[in-house]
Amino acid sequence: MRFCITGVGLWARGLTSYAAFEAAAACGFSGIGDAAFEPPRPSHIPARERRRAGLLINLAVEVAHQACEHAGVDKASTASVFSSSMGDTTITDYMCRKLAGTERLLSPAKFTNSVHNAASGYWGISAGSRAPSTFVGGFEASFGAGLLEAISQAKGFGGPVLLVAYDVENSSPLADVCEIGETLGVALVVEAERSRVRNAGFAVPAELRFVGTRSEFPVPRACGLAKLAGANPMGPALVLLECCIAGIPDRCSPLRFPATTRGCIELQFLDKS
Amino acid sequence: MADTRVGSDDLRRERSLALNVSINSYTLTSALGTGICALRESLRQNRFCLDSAGWLDCDVPCYLGKVAIPDGVEVPLKWRSRNNRLVELALRQDGFEAAVQAVREEYGAGRCGLVLGTSTSGIDRTELAYRQLDDSGRFAEQFHQPAVHNPHAPTDYAAERLGIAGPCLTVSAACASSAKVFATGKRWLEQDLVDAVVVAGADSLCLSVIHGFHSLQLVSAEPCRPFAKNRSGITIGEAAGFILMTRERSAQTLRLLGVGESCDAFHMSSAPEDGNGARLAMDRALEDARLRMHEIDYVNLHGTGTRSNDDVEGRMCGAMMDDRTLASATKGWTGHALGAAGIVEGVLCLEALSTGLVPGTRNTVDHDAPFDLVLKNRKRSINTALTNSFGFGGNNCSVVFSR
Repeated sequence: MRFCITGVGLWARGLTSYAAFEAAAACGFSGIGDAAFEPPRPSHIPARERRRAGLLINLAVEVAHQACEHAGVDKASTASVFSSSMGDTTITDYMCRKLAGTERLLSPAKFTNSVHNAASGYWGISAGSRAPSTFVGGFEASFGAGLLEAISQAKGFGGPVLLVAYDVENSSPLADVCEIGETLGVALVVEAERSRVRNAGFAVPAELRFVGTRSEFPVPRACGLAKLAGANPMGPALVLLECCIAGIPDRCSPLRFPATTRGCIELQFLDKS
Repeated sequence: MADTRVGSDDLRRERSLALNVSINSYTLTSALGTGICALRESLRQNRFCLDSAGWLDCDVPCYLGKVAIPDGVEVPLKWRSRNNRLVELALRQDGFEAAVQAVREEYGAGRCGLVLGTSTSGIDRTELAYRQLDDSGRFAEQFHQPAVHNPHAPTDYAAERLGIAGPCLTVSAACASSAKVFATGKRWLEQDLVDAVVVAGADSLCLSVIHGFHSLQLVSAEPCRPFAKNRSGITIGEAAGFILMTRERSAQTLRLLGVGESCDAFHMSSAPEDGNGARLAMDRALEDARLRMHEIDYVNLHGTGTRSNDDVEGRMCGAMMDDRTLASATKGWTGHALGAAGIVEGVLCLEALSTGLVPGTRNTVDHDAPFDLVLKNRKRSINTALTNSFGFGGNNCSVVFSR
């Protein structure tokens, strides 16, 4: 399936936009590990909802907003796919601890936010969007699974689709079983190839195919990015972003990363012409 | 009327050429019974399927739509959770595994996909792990199960069991989860990503959902009574269901005709009074199916039994339907299976299409829906059916089937 990436949003330690990613790439991402994590505070969430939004929701809404702005798409009519490997583990931890105790009265707001599509709901309210929105999971393959679904939707709907992929650093006891060592949120606007691309300044065309064999997680080209990419299931997104940066010479070599437990997707980047 | 268009005109033309999707095989395990024969028997006998015996040490007074999972139904420790045991039990019914094996042999495992909707996933097991933390506050050995403590757990287990090697995706959009699987599955077939796709739903009882809905004061102490004047909230249920779909193979078949999705853009846990978000999902589903509302013979309503949900859905459907469309809400039989509600009610639509028995609105006597709600099971040959599923996050999905 051919598609085109037309917008990017990003939030991680030391990398709080795609522009920051491009700038850091120029110096091999040296020093991003020294930066402290700054929690995003998206101003576009309405006040009523903002009070109840935790880190994961703020992260997702922030990168979603960035990507739509970058692509110049209409937020209210763009369909969206949200994807995470572990979901909101802060809420999972809260719910399970509360339910393990004797006083089991849960906070209604926290229970409402415990649905995996909570970030999608906050985004829809913030963007005033009645377009279809979903949450998908593929455990460790969630970035590939989400990208496949977003591209399939872009082809199906014939318009831009927003992919928002994120996992948040977690703590024990869940981290002992499934550790997320770094917080990372990435959003992409993808369009089926034939759609009119509005933002001539940014358009990365590629061809995707599903391959029914396992793939390892790809390793970033820049050593400075390796720790972040290895500490979050959305790591493959960073390798993909490296390929998006103009001037990378071997954009032509295919990029493979997991899209299911047993299969992967292969991306072949194409010439802009 | 609202503009229902999502895509471009070019694409809409292309979609009008899209193939119909054929439903080859299905199974459902819910409070109505284990497998389709038990479901038919429960409906035929007008059996009361909800249970007041409680759940673990849960002190919320309520009825539940439970599945009795026999002791012999176990899964390997790597996968163990009540949710996966429910998946295992459901997969063993109605020759479903054999039906999947046949398409796997015909097309190859890599050309078979799976989309499963769940909201609880294996959280029952995570809850248990937190109740048995060791002295240092960590999970005990038997709970070190990375494949269970994440949203994708039942999908990964079912894919392993069914030998599916194509795309596998979990959809988790609260109570719309396993209605939305039809949209993804249909698209995969249309786009030739797969030759066969299993769409499914699996949600199991756990403390999170009972106490969670209780915190919102939405759990009824009595069996739920959708659309009843004296309705008092939801009854939570559990279920697992599987449907095997391929591109159209014969004229004599059940079909998936269309799916419509939308969001309310209004509030996380309540619907706007005008029901316009939900209406948009129904309009989009009808457009996708190339049908008009008066061509729908039966509507399986979302009908949870809460005051406001039934109000909004009743008004919205009352404005759309004419007198000849039958409508009922079936959560009085099954309980609200949350992430599995879409697949439960999808199967009930397929059953109504194949058997000519339209299920009534169990437990409801005196209703305030602005149309003639079907209260008692009715024999009527129907050709088209639509089901609604609406979830937290303002997520709506409608699905249209035919025979």
